[in-house]
Amino acid sequence: MNKAMLKLGLVLALFAGVACVGLAFVYSLTEERIAAHAQKDLDNALKEIFPDYDDSELVTEELSSADGQIKIDAAYAMKKGGNLVGLAVRAKGPSYGGEAILLSGFSADKRVVRVVVLDLKDTPGLGANAADPAYYVDKPKKITFPGQFAGKSLDDAFEVKGDVVAITASTITSGSLTAIVKASGAAASAYFAKGGRK
Amino acid sequence: MNKALSVFLRGIVIENPLAIIMIGLCSSIAVTTSVANGIGMTAGMVFVLLCSELIISLFRKVIPGNIRMPIFIVVIAAFTTMVDIIMKAYFPDLSKAMGVFIPLIVVNCIIMGRVEAFASREKPVYAVLDSIGMGIGYAWVLIGMSLVRELLGNGTILGFQIMPAGYQPVLFFILPPGGFLVFSLFIALNIALRKLWLRHEASRKGGA
Repeated sequence: MNKAMLKLGLVLALFAGVACVGLAFVYSLTEERIAAHAQKDLDNALKEIFPDYDDSELVTEELSSADGQIKIDAAYAMKKGGNLVGLAVRAKGPSYGGEAILLSGFSADKRVVRVVVLDLKDTPGLGANAADPAYYVDKPKKITFPGQFAGKSLDDAFEVKGDVVAITASTITSGSLTAIVKASGAAASAYFAKGGRK
Repeated sequence: MNKALSVFLRGIVIENPLAIIMIGLCSSIAVTTSVANGIGMTAGMVFVLLCSELIISLFRKVIPGNIRMPIFIVVIAAFTTMVDIIMKAYFPDLSKAMGVFIPLIVVNCIIMGRVEAFASREKPVYAVLDSIGMGIGYAWVLIGMSLVRELLGNGTILGFQIMPAGYQPVLFFILPPGGFLVFSLFIALNIALRKLWLRHEASRKGGA
């Protein structure tokens, strides 16, 4: 009995071991490319928000999220010619289809500059519309879901179906993403209130 | 008909995994909201099915019967994770669009079902033919569904505007209820095809 069990265990371990080696091999081959893609996405997103920045500084430690479910991953003080022009905050929080990661830019006068969706796992055609550049919450003005945050004051309420337009049939995703922007904004506000580190 | 050919042809209509065996449906209805997703899901799913059936079939004699399920899962999960990683590295846009569905290939019953019902008992050559046949059967239903749903629900195919500008997209087709409706129509279509196919086969046998 025990001997048979041992044999089964060994066979299973053998299969798992081989699968492990195979995965490690594929992972090590692709690791660099995946990291490069993530870095490029971040650079592009930073450029999209602050087109004319020439320097950025990581200031993650100086920010904290008041919302327990939302975590601030990284924050960059964006500078131009040595002056602080704004703050870019990368934050993640739970959404309908798993974790969502947003990069939000805030200017020193406490306004949202722009919000970019970095990672969102959601239903294609519904929640995934949040990241679709051709999906407009305001069709005549061609404003996308993240686009509607641009120019908003950080003192606004950030309430879906209040001052934030929801994505059709995706209220949960809309709410989660809005909460991430709001938490990032609150953290940015606090950072600006401290005067930032010049 | 020789065995190889019948193993290969079976999955396309007569035993279509989606419309006749009816397994792996959840992810099918979820991903078919756009043609690009349908194609991506099919590619990932067929790759994992082919590799898993081949490996399980090769090792079928050394896999002890009472722990075959965990071993199947290990093999399937390993290939799925590889697809996920490779897509992230080489097709980042597709990987973003597919999002949550790639990991779901692990629990796609078609793979588990074919491995358990077929590959674990047959020679590798038949396992490969079975996976390709089942893959084609999966592909035409899945991509067909996504064509109908994207066209009617969004007015586009692969992102290109097909319907005239005045067409008001019927969001219903993108939503899950529309998925069920379109799927049921494909089941009906497949059943009709199956009848024709079987009648054709019977008449050929009768004539010979």
